[in-house]
Amino acid sequence: MKKRLLILTLAVAFLPLMASGQPATDDLVSSCVLAAGENTTYLKDFRIQLPKAPPDAAAPVYKANMYLMKNMKYRFGVCDSPGSVGELFITIYDQGKKIISSYNSSTDKKYSSVDFICNKTGLYTLWYSFIGGEQGSGVGVVCMIR
Amino acid sequence: MTGKIIKIVAVILLMSLFSCRNSSVRQGRLTFPVADSIPAAEVEKLSEEAVADIVQNIASPVEIAAILQSMQIPFSAGYLASTQGADRLTTNFRKAVMLGIYGADLGYLNIYGKTGNSVDVLSVIKRLADGLRVGQFFDFETLKRLSSSKSNLDSLLFLSVNSYNQIDNYLRDNDRGSISALMITGVWIEGQYLATQVALSYNDEILRDRIGEQKIILGDLLMLLRPYRGSSEEYGSLYDMMEQISAKYAGVKVSYRLAEPETREKDGRLVVVQNEESIVEMTDAQLTEIATLSKEVRDKLISGN
Repeated sequence: MKKRLLILTLAVAFLPLMASGQPATDDLVSSCVLAAGENTTYLKDFRIQLPKAPPDAAAPVYKANMYLMKNMKYRFGVCDSPGSVGELFITIYDQGKKIISSYNSSTDKKYSSVDFICNKTGLYTLWYSFIGGEQGSGVGVVCMIR
Repeated sequence: MTGKIIKIVAVILLMSLFSCRNSSVRQGRLTFPVADSIPAAEVEKLSEEAVADIVQNIASPVEIAAILQSMQIPFSAGYLASTQGADRLTTNFRKAVMLGIYGADLGYLNIYGKTGNSVDVLSVIKRLADGLRVGQFFDFETLKRLSSSKSNLDSLLFLSVNSYNQIDNYLRDNDRGSISALMITGVWIEGQYLATQVALSYNDEILRDRIGEQKIILGDLLMLLRPYRGSSEEYGSLYDMMEQISAKYAGVKVSYRLAEPETREKDGRLVVVQNEESIVEMTDAQLTEIATLSKEVRDKLISGN
């Protein structure tokens, strides 16, 4: 009985320590910001986790609205979590009109980041999704290019 | 022997439970008296989606500073809010507004690489964040080390902006949107103060455009503050002051010239150039009025009078 109690107590005491040794989402954000390259300054990050699309249904999308400013250059980077089934991509919309996507479904080409040279201040919608509607997790980072 | 071990482990376990200052979730759940969270019934509550719609990047602590730096405007410590008296802030309202103001100042200092000066601002930010029970998002020691060493400006910028983003997310996720709105307003008013004061001395089209375009953003900022304006006298007063700034923008015109974007590939990256353009029409007199009132509001928020 005492042995079991000892094991249980040890497990409860050390589980949080073991968990903290695992890579946190913040590590993924940091590495994604790093991958955005030199001469960039981090502005925002979005943590994305989406389920697999049901059969014959549209791919799940994470949407975020963000103000982008005229005369600024932005870099939108996407990074997949280790073990993510799906590959994350971003599509940027301006009032419902598609501006750019980091994935071209007709050529199946995917970019790890897209640059947007903004000439119109306004609220833009960022759509994050996984290729083929796969289940997945990852982060999207927004940096300004200096 | 086993009994002793159990006792020792139990003591360690208890100590770890009561010393988790860095565990935001645990700390938040245990100790929120939520004096600054406003019951849903007492406010014109915006839907969660609507708040999320308007909140991203309303005010960035670094973008205005980056524009000033690209214009080669010299750094001036005179633009910074004084850190004296920050210890005497008693209400969460003032702490949150000042957290935003100092956040913008930190962005200004860091973008200009004046990291030696930023340690003082960082200390105040840490105290204010602790006072609002969001201090766990500031890795103060790392930020201080990076500031003192000037070794890695990019890491410093990332950590400081990321801390603000985490605070903002945490506050909104924990029904403390009123505090988040105040912090965002603080960042905005300090950025607006900085931009307008510089614009009075340096005639630059990009900066003028940025100030004029705040007309669009200010509308959303007011929407963000509106649900809480009746929650206290000081909130109501802040809302009124922001409305007054908005009124000064009434004559500023923002129009759009339509054009299709161009996409190309460069160095393995996809680049899109937006040819559609926003055009700002703002007279010198309008700029002066906006600058004067923005300074007045900013000074009132700092002095608390």
